[in-house]
Parts: sequence; structure tokens; C-alpha cells
Amino acid sequence: MKTQNAILLWLKSHTTPFLLSIPLLLLAVLVQAFGGTLLIRIVTVLFINLVMVLGLQVFMGNSGILNFAHIGFMGIGAYTSVLFSMTPQAKAATLPDLYPFLRPIHLPFLPSLLIGALAAALVAALVGYALMRLSDAAAVITLFALLVIIHTILVHWSIVTNGPRTLFGVDNYTTLGISAFFGILIIFIAYLFKETPVGLKLRASRDDRYAAASIGINVVQVRWAGFVLSAFLAGFGGGLWAHFITSFSPYAFYLTETFSILSMLVIGGTGSVSGAVVGTVVVTFLREALRAIENSANIAGLFQNNLVGFTEVFLSILLILILIYRPSGILGSREIRLTSEDLRSVTASSQTDRPVPSSTKEGKHV
Amino acid sequence: MKDCESGNSHADHLIVERVTKNFAGLRALDSVSLNLKRGEILGLIGPNGSGKTTLINVITGLLPLDSGRVFIGEVEITNKPPYEIARAGLGRTFQTIRLFRELTVMENVEVAAVSRGCSRKEAKRRALQAIEELGLEGWVGRLAGELPYGLERRVEIARAFALQPDFLLLDEPAAGLNEEESDELLNMLAPIPQRKGLGLLIVDHDMRLIMRLCHRLHVLSYGKTIGEGTPEEVRRIPQVIEAYLGKRAAGG
Repeated sequence: MKTQNAILLWLKSHTTPFLLSIPLLLLAVLVQAFGGTLLIRIVTVLFINLVMVLGLQVFMGNSGILNFAHIGFMGIGAYTSVLFSMTPQAKAATLPDLYPFLRPIHLPFLPSLLIGALAAALVAALVGYALMRLSDAAAVITLFALLVIIHTILVHWSIVTNGPRTLFGVDNYTTLGISAFFGILIIFIAYLFKETPVGLKLRASRDDRYAAASIGINVVQVRWAGFVLSAFLAGFGGGLWAHFITSFSPYAFYLTETFSILSMLVIGGTGSVSGAVVGTVVVTFLREALRAIENSANIAGLFQNNLVGFTEVFLSILLILILIYRPSGILGSREIRLTSEDLRSVTASSQTDRPVPSSTKEGKHV
Repeated sequence: MKDCESGNSHADHLIVERVTKNFAGLRALDSVSLNLKRGEILGLIGPNGSGKTTLINVITGLLPLDSGRVFIGEVEITNKPPYEIARAGLGRTFQTIRLFRELTVMENVEVAAVSRGCSRKEAKRRALQAIEELGLEGWVGRLAGELPYGLERRVEIARAFALQPDFLLLDEPAAGLNEEESDELLNMLAPIPQRKGLGLLIVDHDMRLIMRLCHRLHVLSYGKTIGEGTPEEVRRIPQVIEAYLGKRAAGG
């Protein structure tokens, strides 16, 4: 009975992930039932984007460090997972020089995704401990350098990536149902991470790393934990994307994609899971709408030359406007929730059955 | 539930031994020694630039020291990283307030207990206790960045309490407070060291607060110790009068 009450109380003060996932679940179900091929593809991509953006929020939102390397980890996850999921025949066709021990391996979809995610997390774990000692601009520049390094390796490690050429022969496993399932699961993961002891300590270190150290927080360690989890989710998202798009090259995991994912998070609000979700939905649909406008303008021949890059320019301007007028994004650091913060604090104080220490009361009247 | 007991050392003394710190050519601290007992309030005073904040930063590991040693009881904490020193049982506040501005008041205080290894539930319980001790009950759900200035100070102190340190260094807790707020703070702080068995070191320029609150005083000038003792004793030391009021007053 008591545990039941405690669970109810907890749910009441943590409505956010439910409020965020119910509309998305409805969207997925409706599109699956009534949507055409194009709409199904758009919504599948929406959920993959959600995995990427929430993965980015886990580290960037909670640590306050702008992470340019995120898409690099997506690439690691994508390439690693397809190496395990592709059939030996497909590998022989597209990667003739592949290391012999990798050739016969043929795992189901989910284990391959997990291995891809773990590979990304492993790389993050190895380079992270040194990188996480850096803060502010130094951290941002080094993480950008890490993206360049990962990209260069992907382009040149032809034996496993087919070099700068397109890798093909990947099976299409990522359906709308699968991407919706993981997109929604990761809403819960990202939200719960914020509330774990590590997540709380990481958020404290974001606001003031000296104060955080003064209460015993090992800032490097909590940042590292957030970085590794974030890379794991990026690797997972990369695997999902690879098995949706089925043929890709290392250029898919570079500046364009970095800008796209980053703009979703920044427009929605870096500091909250709600912001990440809202930003992903808004930007994904906005981009599709802009692309449709761009295409129809070109088909109708409205301009002398074809309209090129209209979508990117529009999104960049939007990003600049958001940064000027709402630097913390549409939602900022606030989470969407049913109960107000005040109610939360009331439920918190009702958990203690201890009377107020009398000395405090006396102290006030001395 | 993980054990999250306070102050793993349970030491009786914070000992600073002949600490020296140079900034380029400037000797900010010159062989300063002091001893803080649990249960007492020690005031660290001195004119501007005498090295008070530097001493706190050196003790808490924020600045490396050039020579000398610092101990919590038997445990040496000289030049350890700040988070290890905090875990060894030494808390502090900052001269310029450093709160976690995007966290609620509750989370600000709670995170200190969490970093001691408490579960969130136990941390909440401890945080509420510290919040009540500083009269912040009405503000728990507010973001720390939205608080009035006088309350920010109290949140910082509540956060340090939630760490449950054996020794606590407060760097100008009354700075910027009006007389009424400063009195309120004094009444809150006065009973704490005895009740918690905590050694409290306070740096402040508010002499009224220092004289009423502190059991002992330690006076710095140009990085050197120029006096030690009870407030009454210190008031009679010629160098102290000179440092505060000028040479003529000391001579007369």
C-alpha cells in the first residue's frame, strides 16, 4: 500500500515523459493506419531524429557543453551496426577487402544496433576522460576536432566503410513502429537521467563548476558519464538511421547533419527534454514543408534559376532569430508538466514526518 | 540504501600549517597557521587584500599552495582536488555567490547530500532540514536564479549544511545584507556549531556580526598573521588597531 502510494506520488510529480510521448504515440499510430508512404517515411525520420536530439540533450543540456562530436558517434554506430547485420553475401559485394573475421558474422537487427551503440560509447569512454577536463570554448573546439577526426577515419578506413563511396546492401529493418518505440523509450531515458544522482550533479556542474566541486562533485566524472550515455544513444540512433536509409557514405555524418540536429535542440530548448522533443517535431515538419515549397516553386518555374538551399537558409535564419530573442529556446529549461513546481515541493515536504527542529524556531525570535 | 554518513574523518581540528602562497611577485599568504576546532566559530578578519579569501581558496583546493600543509584531523588535504577536500568533510561558501541558478532551491541543497552518496529520498530529507534551518521553507520550488539577493546567501549556506561537513568556511556571508538581514543571519548561525558539532570559520567585514558571533578571531594583514585570540584580546593588539585605524590611533 505504502509503495503504491509512493509510486503514485512519483508519477504525479513526473508527468513530463508521459505528456510528451502520448501525442507522439498517437501520431505514430494514426500515420501507420492512414498515412501514405511519404508521410510514413517523414514520421519514421522524425523518431530517428528524436533519438539523436535527445541523445544530444542528455550531454549538452545537462552539462552545458556544446557537443559537435555527436554526429561522429552516430556514424560510428551506423557503420558498426551494419557490419554486424549485413549478410555475408552483401558484405562480399560492397566491402570486398573486409577483415576475414568480420565476413561471416551475421546478427539479427537488435543485437547489431546494441553493438553499434556500445562501439560509440566505447570510443566516447576512451577519449572522454581527457576531453571532459575542458570547459567552455576549449571543450567546444576539441569536440569539433573530434568530429573531424571521426569523419576522416570513416572516409579513409575503406576496408570497413567503403571509403568515401556509398555503402550499400544494408537491409531495411527500421520501420515506423521500431523507430517510434525507441524514440519514445528515449524520452523516458533522457528524462530519468536528469533525475538520477549523476544527472542532478551534472546539471549542478553546468550551472557552476566551482560550486559543484565545493560540495564534493567530481565534475570530470559526471560529465564523462553523461558523455558516454549520450554517445551510446547517438550510436543507437545511427544504427536505426542506417537500417532505414540502407545506403550511405561518411558524408552523411558530418556538418550538414550536425547543423540539423543541433538546430532542433537549440530551437526547442537545450535545457529540457520537453524542449528537445518540441524542437525535433517543429523543425522536422518545418523542414518538410519548406522542402515542399522549394520543390513546387522549382517545378512551377517561379524563378529564373532553380531555388537551391531555401530550406537551409530559412532554418539558419530561424536559428539566429531564436538565439537573439529566446537564447534558451522555445521552452528553455522548463519541462512540460501537469503539476506545478509548487505542488512538487509540497509533495516533497509531506514525505518527511519529522517536526521542525524547535531550535530553528527559537533562533528566529532571539 | 547507500550509506551517506557525514564527514568521514570525524576529526576534531582543521589544521593549517605555515601556508604560503605567491601570486607572481606578490606574497599573498606568508606562513599563515591556524587551527579550527569543532563546535567553535573562528572569525578571520583583516583589511582588504590581506589574504582572507586566498586562504580559504588555498584550504579548499581551489588554488594550489606554494608551501605549508593542511590537515583535517590526521588526514592531509594539501593540494588535493576541491571535490576530494569537500568529501573529506570541508564545506565552503563563496564571496561572490555561486548557486546552481537553473536548479530549484530544493535541488540546489539536495545535490550536496546526493554528492555524499545519499539516495534522492534521503537527500530530500536532509535538504529539507537544512532549508528549515535557514528559513527557506517557502522557496523550495523556486529556481535559485529567481531569488532575492538576501535569500541567495542563505541557499548557499543551506547547501553547505546539506553536505554535512565537519568544518565550514563562510566567505563574507553578510556581504550586501542590510542590518536586519544580517541580524537574522547571525541568529541562524550562532547555535549551529554547537548543535551540529561543526567548526565554523567566518570571513566578514561586518565587525558587529563578527564580534557578536565569533569565539576567537584571527587577524591577517598583507598575508601575515598579526593577531589571534578572543574578540576582546584582539581588540587590544596594537598591530590590529594600526591595521584597522592607522598608525596614529595605535600610538595614542
